[in-house]
Amino acid sequence: MASETVTNPMDFKVRELLKEVQLDYSPSFTKLVDETVSAIRETIHQIPEDLHVTEDVAPGFVRDIGADKVEFKFKKPKSIEIGGSYSMRCIAKPDVNVDLFVRMPKECFHEKDYLNYRYHAKRFLYLCIVKKYLKLSSVAQKVEWSTFQNEARKPILVVHPDMKLVESPQLLVRIIPTATSVFNVSKLNLDRNNVRALNQGGVLQATLKYNSSMLEDLFLEDNAEFVKRTFLGWKELGEALILLKVWARQRSSIYVHDCLNGFLISVIMAYLGTKSGRNRINNSMTTMQIFRVTMDFIATSKLWDNGLFFQHQGEQSTSKESRISLKSFPVVICGPFADFTLTFRMTRSGFLELRDEAALTLSCIDKCGDGGFDEVFMTRIDFPAKYDYCIRLNMKNHNEVYAMGFCLDDECWRSYEQKVLSLMHQALNDRAKTIRITWRNTLSGCNLEDGFSMFDREPLLIGISVSTLEKALRVVDIGPNAENKDEALKFRKFWGDKADLRRFKDGTIAESTVWDCKHWERYLIIRRIIDHVLVRHLSLSKENITTVVDQLDFSLLYGSEDPIAFSASLLEAFEVLSKRLRLLNDIPLRVSSVQPLDSAFRFTSVFPPRPHPLAVEKSVNLRLQKLTSSCIHPLEVMIQLEGSGNWPMDEVAIEKTKSAFLLKIGESLQNNWGMACNPTEDDVVVFTSGYAFRLKALHERGLNLLKRQIGSNQVKWVPSTDKILSIRGQHSSMINGLQGRFPIYGPVVRLAKRWVAAHFFSTSLEEEAVELLVAYLFLKPFPFYAPCSRIAGFLRFLRLLSEYDWAFSALIVDINGDLTVDDEKEINGNFTSSRKAYDENMQNTSPAVFLATSYDKASEAWTKSTPSSLELKRLVAYARSSADLLSKLILHDQPESYKWECLYRTPLSNYNAVVLLHRDKLPYPQRLLFPSELNQGRHVVRGSASKDFHPFILPGEMNGSVKDLKHKLMVDFDPLRCFVGDLEKLLPDTFKVWYDSLGGDAIGLTWEGLGSKVSKKRGREVGEGEDDFLDVLKNVGEAGKGFVRSIYFLKAPRLCN
Amino acid sequence: MGTEGSHKSLKTTKKKMKKNKDYHEKKKSKLAETEPNMDRVKEEKKKNKSLGKKRKHREKVSEPEATKVDHYSSEGKGPGEVDGQKKKVKLSRKKKINNDEINKADVGKVDELDNEVESGLNEQIGSLADRQNKERKLRKKRRKSDKEKKSGVEKVDELCNEVEDGSKEENDVSKKAHKAKKKARLSSKKDEKLLERREEPEQTEVYEMSSGDDDCSRGMKKWVTDYQQSRPGLKILQQRIDDFMTTFEAQEEQAKKEREALAAEGGWTVVVHHKGRKKTTDAETGVTVGSVAQAAVLDNMAKKKSKDVGLDFYRFQKREAQRNEIMALQSKFEQDKKRIQQLRAARKFKPY
Repeated sequence: MASETVTNPMDFKVRELLKEVQLDYSPSFTKLVDETVSAIRETIHQIPEDLHVTEDVAPGFVRDIGADKVEFKFKKPKSIEIGGSYSMRCIAKPDVNVDLFVRMPKECFHEKDYLNYRYHAKRFLYLCIVKKYLKLSSVAQKVEWSTFQNEARKPILVVHPDMKLVESPQLLVRIIPTATSVFNVSKLNLDRNNVRALNQGGVLQATLKYNSSMLEDLFLEDNAEFVKRTFLGWKELGEALILLKVWARQRSSIYVHDCLNGFLISVIMAYLGTKSGRNRINNSMTTMQIFRVTMDFIATSKLWDNGLFFQHQGEQSTSKESRISLKSFPVVICGPFADFTLTFRMTRSGFLELRDEAALTLSCIDKCGDGGFDEVFMTRIDFPAKYDYCIRLNMKNHNEVYAMGFCLDDECWRSYEQKVLSLMHQALNDRAKTIRITWRNTLSGCNLEDGFSMFDREPLLIGISVSTLEKALRVVDIGPNAENKDEALKFRKFWGDKADLRRFKDGTIAESTVWDCKHWERYLIIRRIIDHVLVRHLSLSKENITTVVDQLDFSLLYGSEDPIAFSASLLEAFEVLSKRLRLLNDIPLRVSSVQPLDSAFRFTSVFPPRPHPLAVEKSVNLRLQKLTSSCIHPLEVMIQLEGSGNWPMDEVAIEKTKSAFLLKIGESLQNNWGMACNPTEDDVVVFTSGYAFRLKALHERGLNLLKRQIGSNQVKWVPSTDKILSIRGQHSSMINGLQGRFPIYGPVVRLAKRWVAAHFFSTSLEEEAVELLVAYLFLKPFPFYAPCSRIAGFLRFLRLLSEYDWAFSALIVDINGDLTVDDEKEINGNFTSSRKAYDENMQNTSPAVFLATSYDKASEAWTKSTPSSLELKRLVAYARSSADLLSKLILHDQPESYKWECLYRTPLSNYNAVVLLHRDKLPYPQRLLFPSELNQGRHVVRGSASKDFHPFILPGEMNGSVKDLKHKLMVDFDPLRCFVGDLEKLLPDTFKVWYDSLGGDAIGLTWEGLGSKVSKKRGREVGEGEDDFLDVLKNVGEAGKGFVRSIYFLKAPRLCN
Repeated sequence: MGTEGSHKSLKTTKKKMKKNKDYHEKKKSKLAETEPNMDRVKEEKKKNKSLGKKRKHREKVSEPEATKVDHYSSEGKGPGEVDGQKKKVKLSRKKKINNDEINKADVGKVDELDNEVESGLNEQIGSLADRQNKERKLRKKRRKSDKEKKSGVEKVDELCNEVEDGSKEENDVSKKAHKAKKKARLSSKKDEKLLERREEPEQTEVYEMSSGDDDCSRGMKKWVTDYQQSRPGLKILQQRIDDFMTTFEAQEEQAKKEREALAAEGGWTVVVHHKGRKKTTDAETGVTVGSVAQAAVLDNMAKKKSKDVGLDFYRFQKREAQRNEIMALQSKFEQDKKRIQQLRAARKFKPY
């Protein structure tokens, strides 16, 4: 019980997390480890003494590393000891590595072997011999090469032991050679040159990294021992280390070779826990406190500027000279044994990223629910989700990388990273907030003996976070003044033919680059810059550069054009309309306000309408238009009238009166401005400037009327039309405001809506709900920053959908940031009561998704009835697989068949039956993403197409008068909606209909209510049930005569209840 | 069940093919990898033979199927083509070719996506393996029996309703289908046995539907007609509303009179007490009735609220509030615990 009496949910969760990731040092497991290690030890000891080793063992490696004189006689290692996280009991699953330090004997090396990579070569040859004998032995199932912290010149061996325990995770033994006291430390002083090949005009340069790399091996065991001493017996510290490892591992941008690794985390914590770090961590702290202190230290401490220095063991403190030479490293953590920094691999950009992540984590802990547990430990922060732009460079066979040799002071890949980084900085300037470059050189399963040439297999990744969108999408970059000759020349050299001498408004004449493009294409500017610079400076061909920007835009385009480009003219038309409405004076009550409702007005419509040539006031020349659509989508506009006391009290009467008013308004618009009007009993549509607007009137009194609808067994209260209208109005204006704050919001919503529809979730997730979900990404971006590119935003949307804890938490979207604590309490209260009802009655389809906003605190507006928990399950599964695919597409080259289109192509096999429609009877055939065909299942029904409806006005009909033509224009006619509506009327509660309201040509059907309906028939043969299904499908076909192309019966529904 | 049935029918199809072996003797296949399965397939075939009698009646089943194939083939590659008047279709067909590749990918994706219909997935995987097995056998047979055919068997296979997602190309369908049909006919002549399978009539054919252009009761025609009928024009609509309002007012009037009459009959009326001036706001909600500005009302409401006596005026209220808070905290804690149990069950604490 004691462990359960934690008061803080965060602590509770952390406990559970620790239980999950901590390694259980059970006797059976430790025995396994001990046995494996002693077997390995035994094998190594059996290697014959004085075996003569030459470079023939691994000629490729020796050649590539550039070493000479590498022969030596093999001697047994001085010691073979377990070190690292296993010995500290700080392993964080799932990586269970036991580090085995193999101390190479001094006799294998000459005194001067610290020069010219001789040490590294011999070190490798030594391992080759060990590998050879391990392979012969029975202890290892497999022995593989790996590298020490991604440093190619320092390989290590990874042994997959033959012995295994069923219940324990996969154990790996890493054999790490060390060189304790092999060389004289003073020869490896940081200001010395030990690689003779590195010189500039005969002047030798200090080999900082080379020396550090060797010093590391010299003191590897000592440092590990020191850290271990600090951690042993201090349970909280160890736990905090595991937490930090979990935290870091979730962040692929900092848990890499040029930033953090498990050992460095432990060193930082050891520093804070000892006298050197003034005991910032002390014994009285809890695990979470230690975590927080460490995080805070990383994020904010000023000590980093000078470096962290451990107190030297026994000897005098670090000398001044070495402090100065250490200064050339961006980060310094000087261990207790020698004057070198343990962080010599860390780059400035890596360190900045680390501090940034730590700071962000601290704010997560403060601001997020439950202490930010999910954000800090559970959310994966990988390149695709974190960075706004991801660029992948395929470097295979790109010789330029190692033109200078593979290893000088630093390795060629690391230098290349730096080169690309500085190029990107110069190219993007203040457009980018952070630029991160990683080139992992994994080599699983390859032969290091053959040299380094296979290290370019993995792509180089560039991640860019945009500073602000105004800066990032800037069209003109102003360079140096023309008079500044040197600078101007440099600028020209960098940009090549893109540089342009221009005269600006303020009279200055300066070098500049101009990235001219249409307004809606401006997000592509960054890609153009990157492509230009990389092609120009790295002699990469364009196909080797993959910049993830517009790969999903195919789903939003009409041909090659994005219909969002018409938004400006749409807003103009709306302005005209609202002005005219307000000026009307021949109606009894004047129009007091006009508010847009449709998503096209807030840039979140997947397909904002294009101006239609027939929906205008004047006559038109249709000859110019090749294909004129015969359908037009009306945009809803809400109007309010002056107050009056003469309104009727009855709900129906109110609606009728409203209609009468709207008809009057339509008539008046027609008379005054010649705007065509297309009324029905329920609403009035008017045409102007190529757009159709549907007028809706809001009457305040209606707000409180509730329609009483008697369902099957209970009374439901249905909000009145006015209530719905008013909610839509509030939603519309709030989202519009949000859209203004985050210009990238619109495109993300459009991608998300298209995705939802493309997978037949049109009925499951309302458009407004999608808007709110995406809004949440921008308003509560933790543990990220608000996304600044459509793909990053879309990926995070998919992850939110798939990872959010819908069953146990409400999603609160605080659009204007005005929800108070009380409001949240109220929302959570509503949520709890809705879940209680759910718990009591599992059949209850109360909202599976609880979306609360300031205008709708009980999640009644958009998610009251949909998605049901079943639909949500499907949504989550689809979102998860789409998100995984998307991340993969961003990070790796995918084989041909797994391309971007797959994200929007829904599998048709997951339904009981599929109805295919006549594609040329869809109202907007150009919106169809993929024509659906089925070659599975049983073909049950086939129908021919109707001739009564065509999505385009036929050439033969063009000749009629304009008035006739206008009559032909069908407002909001959607056969798909009619069909689905009819199905629900004719065959209620038979099945669930899945379809794409945006323009899919297929409908999925899944049987519903099998528990009640079919189980009755279970007495009869099951095959009979199938007959019923086929009959039902025929009825479905009949209901969609002229529209249904064919129906396939895929699989009988499961007959379990 | 249907799956199983069709499996069986598939097998019989295979058998027939075998019988027609000599008919298509010269078939050579590129699919060398099916070689190892030879023996197995032969065994299988033998088994089939021995079972042959039992199954004879089922062979009938496959004949109609073949008819279906025929329909399909006469239809060409896409029903939409029949019209042959839309450029759209051509366009989409072009796309289709590309998409066949994507379709293949989908096969893989199905596995991922099908979390929800999980058991359905298992079924599918099962049948996939099943089918692969069969396909191998089929190919085997094809080698012997059929010359020109490339993937006709697969086609038959698909059309026979394997609950399956096929990712094969559907070009050449018609040719192959013809072939399959012929074979099926040949073999089906042999059996005249009684048919007892219930699904027989349904399985036999694709239900053909007319375009329904002469039928106003349903389908596209109905929707277009509905659309046009709902737009009779401004004047008529206005007239309708006026009519409605007139009858509505008449009804109201009537009701009022009745009420009055009722009151008069009883000889007394209920007197309602009106306090103060005439109300301008709705009692419960504070919504403006009549012409008073809403802002003013809201203002008033806000002022009124502030006059309320604080909830913690009395000591017992304070105590109650405290207790409530503790209760709330406790329940929240309980909830948290429950939630954690749930999460633990879902193994949501695994950060990998």
